[in-house]
Amino acid sequence: MKLYDYVLSPSCYKVRLMAALIGVKLEIRPVDFHPGAEHLGPELMALNPAGSIPILEDGDLILTESTAMLAYLAAKAAPEWLGSGAPEETARIQQWLSFSHRLTASLGGARLHEMLLRPGDIAALQAQGIAALRELEAGLVEQGLRGMRFLASDRPTIADIACFPYVALAPDGGILLDPYPAIRLWSRAIRGLDDFIEMPGIHRLHELNPEPQIEPGAA
Amino acid sequence: MPARIPAGPIALWRSQAGHAVASADRCPHRGMRLSHGFVRGEALSCIYHGWSYGKTGNCLRIPAHPSLTPPETIRVATHDVEESDGIIWIALGQPAARPPRFEGLVPLRSLTVNANVAAVEAAAGAKADPEGLVSPSQHPQEIRLLLAPQDDQTLIHVLLDDKSSPSRRIAASRTAESLRRMAEDLQAKVQAS
Amino acid sequence: MRDEWYPVGLFSQLDRNGRNTVLMGEPITVALDAEGAATVTSGSGRALPVRVRYGHVWSSLGNPRKELFAIPEADQPGRRFVDVGVVRVRCSPLRAVENFLDIAHFPFVHTDILGAEPHTEVEEYKVEIRKDEDEVWATQVKFYQPQAAKSANGGITTEYMYRVPAPTCSVLYKTCPPRPGEWDVITLFVQPLAEDLCDVWPWMALFDDATPMADLIHFQQTIFLQDRSILENQIPRLLPLDPGMEIPTRADLTSVAYRRWLKRHNYTYGAQLVAQ
Repeated sequence: MKLYDYVLSPSCYKVRLMAALIGVKLEIRPVDFHPGAEHLGPELMALNPAGSIPILEDGDLILTESTAMLAYLAAKAAPEWLGSGAPEETARIQQWLSFSHRLTASLGGARLHEMLLRPGDIAALQAQGIAALRELEAGLVEQGLRGMRFLASDRPTIADIACFPYVALAPDGGILLDPYPAIRLWSRAIRGLDDFIEMPGIHRLHELNPEPQIEPGAA
Repeated sequence: MPARIPAGPIALWRSQAGHAVASADRCPHRGMRLSHGFVRGEALSCIYHGWSYGKTGNCLRIPAHPSLTPPETIRVATHDVEESDGIIWIALGQPAARPPRFEGLVPLRSLTVNANVAAVEAAAGAKADPEGLVSPSQHPQEIRLLLAPQDDQTLIHVLLDDKSSPSRRIAASRTAESLRRMAEDLQAKVQAS
Repeated sequence: MRDEWYPVGLFSQLDRNGRNTVLMGEPITVALDAEGAATVTSGSGRALPVRVRYGHVWSSLGNPRKELFAIPEADQPGRRFVDVGVVRVRCSPLRAVENFLDIAHFPFVHTDILGAEPHTEVEEYKVEIRKDEDEVWATQVKFYQPQAAKSANGGITTEYMYRVPAPTCSVLYKTCPPRPGEWDVITLFVQPLAEDLCDVWPWMALFDDATPMADLIHFQQTIFLQDRSILENQIPRLLPLDPGMEIPTRADLTSVAYRRWLKRHNYTYGAQLVAQ
C-alpha cells in the first residue's frame, strides 16, 4: 500500500497513525506540497484530479478521502476499529466521521492560513473551529457520563482517528485548547495508545517514559 | 492543565501520589508555558528543556546538566490548593478559611463562557447565593452553577444532585450548553448597544 | 535595524504578479520584472534594495551599510540546495533565532530525531563574538542524536558550529554523515513582519545525492514545526534582554552571547528591554 504523503498534513497523518496503531506497513511517497505544490502537478493530478492529498494506492484501488482510507485499513487489518456493529455505536461513528470534515474545513483552514500563509477569512475559520470544538467537548462529556472514554465506544474507533489530528493541532491555527478539559483527556487517551506515533506539533507524552537515572559524567 | 486565577495563568497538575499543585504557568528558564509540560512522579517538567519543579516550586533537575543540583533561587511560584467534593480551589495568599462545602451536590463539568458574570446571571435568571451558587430559575431542580470570572470570560462549574441518574446528568450538561448560548447572546447584545 | 538585510521571499517562487508581504510593519511587494530580475517595492512605491542569494530574495527598508553576509559553502560544488519554504510563527523574530541556537531542547522537542533521553547532557563548548566579522560563533558543540539527518543511519554524536551573521539569521554547520570532514549547512532566515510575528525561511546546502528532495524538505519542516509549538507559547512573546527575566545555564552560552550582541548593537526590534 502506497501513501502519497505530506508530513505536515493532518489528513495524511490520520492514515499514518491508523496504520501504525494496527501494525500495517505503508510505503510512503513524500509529496512536496509546500513549497513545491507537487500535488497539483501532472503525476498526482492523474491519480487524484481533485488535487488533494493524501492518496492511498493499493493495486488498482485509489482512495482520495482520508475517511475511506481509515475504513479500508481497519477493515483489512483490525475490524474492531470499525465498531461492534451495535446500532447506536455505528451511528455515532458515522456522525463523528462526517463531523470530522467540519474540523478539516475550520481548524484546518485556520492552520493553513496562520502557518503556511494560505488565503482565508481567519476570523470566520476560527469562530467555526471554536464552535466545532465545543460540540466535540460536549459529546465527549456525554460519552464520559455513559462510561465511555472515546467518541463512539469505550475503545477507540476510526471516528477518533478521523477527529484527533485537526483537534490536537488547533493551536497551530491560533485556537487555544485550554477551555476543553474533556478534549484534553480524550487526546491524552489517544496519545497514550500502544504504537501511537506523533506528527510535528504533537509532542511526545514524556510522562509515559520513566525518569532517566543518569550517573554524573556518564552521558 | 492550564487554568487562570486573578494572579495570572497557572499550570494545574496532579502528582503521581495524588497531590493537586498550582504552579505559575511560566518556566523561568526561557518563559515556556509549564502547562504544556509533563508530570513524572512528584514533579512537573517543562516540555522545552525538561527542567522539573517540585510541589513547592523548587527546581529539581536540569537535564542539560545532570550532575548539577539546581540552586534554591530557581523556582516557580505556587499557590495553596484545596480539594473538596471534587472541586479544586486555589488560594491567593494565605487562606483564612476552608473552601465552602456543597452538601449533596457533585460536579458535572466546567465550561468557559465568552460573557461576564452579570450576563451569565441574567441568562440563569438568578444571582449567586451567599455560598456563590447560582440556581437557574428555569431549572431549579436540575443544576447549580459556580461562577469564576476570568478577565472577559466566565468559567462555569456545573454541579448537580449527587443522586442524579446518567441520563439526568447528560440532560444537565445540555442545559448548561443552552445557558452558555443565552449568556453569550446577552453579552453580544450589550456590546452591540 | 531598518538598515539590515532581511529575507522576503523564495526566488524560485516569484512571478510577475509578485508577492505581497510585510517587513517590519510596512507592506512591500516582491516580484520579477520583465528581465526576470527580482524587485522589491515599498507600500509607497519606493524601490528597495535587492539581493538574490541562498535561494531567497533579500531586501531592506533602509540603506544597508554592510553587504549581505557571506556563506562560502553556498558556492561549493557538489552541494544540493534545499528551499524548505516559509512558515509563519507568532513570536519575536529573535526568539525564533535563539531557539535555533539551542541544543538542550533536542531530547524533549525533537524526540528520537535530534535527541533522546537519557542523552540530555550538554557538554562544554566555545562561544565568542568574533571582532573582525562582528558575528556570534559557537564551536565544538557536541550532542548525541538518534537520527541527525535524513542521510544518517542510527545514532551518532553530532558536532555543530553555530553562527549569527545578522540579527535575524543563523547558519548552522553540522557533521555530514555521508562525507566526513565536510559540514552540512542549515540556515534559518527570519523575516520580521512585526515585533511579535515572523515568517521563517529555513534553507539548506547539503552533501546528499541519495535522498529525494521532498524527503529533505519534509525532514527540515518536521524539525521546524516541532519548534513552532514551543515558540508560540513562550511568555513574553518578545525576547527579554534584561538578564533578570530568564535564567541561563552553561548550556545557554550561545543564547547569552546572542542577547549581549543584540544589546551591544542596540538591536531591539522584537526585544523587551525592561522586565514588565
